Amino acid sequence: MTESMLKKWARPALAVTLASSLLLGACSSTTKEETGSGDGAASQGATTLKVEIFDRGNAPAGYTITNSYLTNLVQERFGDPNNINVEFVPVPRSEETQKLNVLMASKSEVPDIVFTYDSGTFNRYAEQGGLTDLSGMLDEFAPNLKKFLGEDTLAYGQYKGQQFAIPGRRLVLGKYAGYVRQDWLDKLGLPVPQTTEELYDTFKAFKESDPGATGGRVIPFGVSLAAAQYEPLLWSFIEPLTEEQRYTLTQQLGSSDYPTLLPGFEDGLRFMNKLFNEGLMSKDFGLDKDKKQLWQDMQNGLVGFYTEDAGELYFSANGGYENLQKNVPGAVMTPVDAFTNSEGKHAKPAYAPNAMYVMIPKSSKNAEAALKYLDWMASGTNLFDIQYGIENENFTLVDGVPVVKADATQEAKDRIYNFGDIAIIVNGKFAGDDVKNESAYIAQTPAAFQADMRKSVEISNVDNIQPVRFDHPIAAEAKYGNALSDKFEEMIVRLTMVKPDQFDSSFDSMLKDYMASGGQAILDERTEAYKAMSGK
Amino acid sequence: MKNWIYIRRSWQLYVLLVLPLIYFVLFKYGPMYGVQVAFKDFNFFQGIAGSDWVGLDIFREVFQNNDFFKALRNTLFLNLLDIVVSFPAPLILAIMLYELRIAWFKKMAQTILYIPHFISWVIIGGIVLQVFGTQSGFINNMLHGFGIQAIPFLSDKYYWLFTYLIVGVWQSAGWGTILYLAALTGINKELFEAAEVDGANRFRKIWHISLPGIKTTIATLLIINLGNMVAIGFDRPFIIGNVAVRDFSDVLSTFVYRIGMQSGQISLATAVGLFQALVGLLFLLGANYASKKLADESIL
Repeated sequence: MTESMLKKWARPALAVTLASSLLLGACSSTTKEETGSGDGAASQGATTLKVEIFDRGNAPAGYTITNSYLTNLVQERFGDPNNINVEFVPVPRSEETQKLNVLMASKSEVPDIVFTYDSGTFNRYAEQGGLTDLSGMLDEFAPNLKKFLGEDTLAYGQYKGQQFAIPGRRLVLGKYAGYVRQDWLDKLGLPVPQTTEELYDTFKAFKESDPGATGGRVIPFGVSLAAAQYEPLLWSFIEPLTEEQRYTLTQQLGSSDYPTLLPGFEDGLRFMNKLFNEGLMSKDFGLDKDKKQLWQDMQNGLVGFYTEDAGELYFSANGGYENLQKNVPGAVMTPVDAFTNSEGKHAKPAYAPNAMYVMIPKSSKNAEAALKYLDWMASGTNLFDIQYGIENENFTLVDGVPVVKADATQEAKDRIYNFGDIAIIVNGKFAGDDVKNESAYIAQTPAAFQADMRKSVEISNVDNIQPVRFDHPIAAEAKYGNALSDKFEEMIVRLTMVKPDQFDSSFDSMLKDYMASGGQAILDERTEAYKAMSGK
Repeated sequence: MKNWIYIRRSWQLYVLLVLPLIYFVLFKYGPMYGVQVAFKDFNFFQGIAGSDWVGLDIFREVFQNNDFFKALRNTLFLNLLDIVVSFPAPLILAIMLYELRIAWFKKMAQTILYIPHFISWVIIGGIVLQVFGTQSGFINNMLHGFGIQAIPFLSDKYYWLFTYLIVGVWQSAGWGTILYLAALTGINKELFEAAEVDGANRFRKIWHISLPGIKTTIATLLIINLGNMVAIGFDRPFIIGNVAVRDFSDVLSTFVYRIGMQSGQISLATAVGLFQALVGLLFLLGANYASKKLADESIL
């Protein structure tokens, strides 16, 4: 009975709870929730600056998300001198957009500094007039921040000419590299594949000879339903584009560019279909959204080749390579740039130079203090200290490049456990300049893997396809983006798995559905926007 | 005046009743204020009251959306299959349990059957992957051992239907027996004894005593189930479903989640929710009416 009653109310209840959470949020303006502030030492009349923070539920013993070494550092160095009480407002990482929506609607509860990775969310807030325009304030209150981010990055936070967000700066722009089992190649006397054709032959050989003696469980090409696994393949099939094609045919859904309408996309899918139907690819890739199965297969020595975010394999936190070598003694994984396009180039997507959209809601009365806080973070050694911790305890300087101490004490590690969530103005660790950043990035991996790590980073920067951006958001993308990226995933999975003789008809019908569900609207709007842009 | 005496005499009971009343007013009726969002172009920053009225525009948009109809179709389809396959399961189980004579075995069987009900769907999702996965699933690993081709339980939409139904039965059948068992216990024991004296065998007794004895319960549950035809739980299709079978696994609840919570189109999601509630009401009234006519049993 309870089960039925639950079911019965579940649907209407969702709409209703949704509305009620907004309603209750709006009504609860009088109840002031006291979240732990830095050290509570703020004096009378101090401004309270509320800053959003991702709660990943991983605060180490002795710390809480709102009271840790880093929150205290912020309070002491920024809060106390400015008579500001910095209060961190935790938002669960896994439901940040939903929670942020509710916070934004509540007005009084919303923090003074909020952020999201989702450009659609940012555009919606900007369009609905919920954000503070920072255009005139940056020079006055945040000169250091402006310098740190640079014009290129800042441009990503503009909506119709107004600076509604401060985009974080992304330091590592390369995305992907491929990895192949070198020991399998050696065993079969094969060269490292340098082109897509050679890669295909390698897959065939891996499948037929099973050099890893997996008992028929070999997965020549490891794939999951994450972009890192299918993007390098699909984009390598995209034909060279004119500028007009790049602008009009690309579809930006969420934060990434999608190749659905680009010439060559169909061929890329057909190639994936061929690999799948010949048994060369992970069978359950459509179920593997978080790469868990792929990593498990890779670490168990079943995967011959896969593409991944460059260097993910080497980080100790992931333990990928270490586990592989533990499970399969003698296993060697080599970074490789295997996919080639029709021009013979290793074309692959890269990141835009922006990261999170850091925003100050219009309802905030502390926009000035909020900007000062972000400016403080970009000044002096503050950012460095947040990200790296204390010299000789968390890191050592080698030729001016900070190298994380592998043998740092647990206490030292815990100190900066969530530095990435505090340092919201940057994505990646900032060591001083581009060269140092890259060295520091590579130095994060264990010494034994650093040569491979360097190669991975190099590969990820070869023949990059830069994201295409208009000077204003495409409204249709904000509206249909989510639904279309779901459809895109569905296309990839179903068209890869369909029988080869049904590929063409399935592709046509799915593309038609895609176009009808908003793809056409985006195309039309982008064509208009391109005309307006090039007519200027 | 007479009413007042009732209240005076047993005011404690009325006080107790106040709590559930408050609950319903606060959490079921209060939020209905927000239903107006379905007729407004909801703007986060102007709130519910401040957003502009747009008449039926939102509903027009909903009914022009292909995915909405697909979700509606799937919701009805999956629920119908559930009624055909999953509805009789607890009934059959309950009758079998009722016939058991060894007390300890009966208790143990009941406990084992109940347990899945208390497992979170997220965990069940993990188990399903381990059991039904094409590459690493337990069943397909066994088939592989016998040299049989792997069966795509999760990634082929027709096989997926089977998986979805089986998992549903496994999760809920045991728990569903509780009501039937309670009803069965309510049947007068003398009927069974009399039937025994008359020489009725076990199946005769089930057919002529047990089943008619719980007819009302069956009808009530069927009505409730039919009333829920357009409502569907979120967890099961969301967790058991995946991209490869979205053709079947995308139902109204996951659709509302996708467009409402993820894309922030609150108005659209509310409109779909309202539509669902209305159609659900029609189904409920219809089923109730039919049951009244056919079996003279109704709950309203």
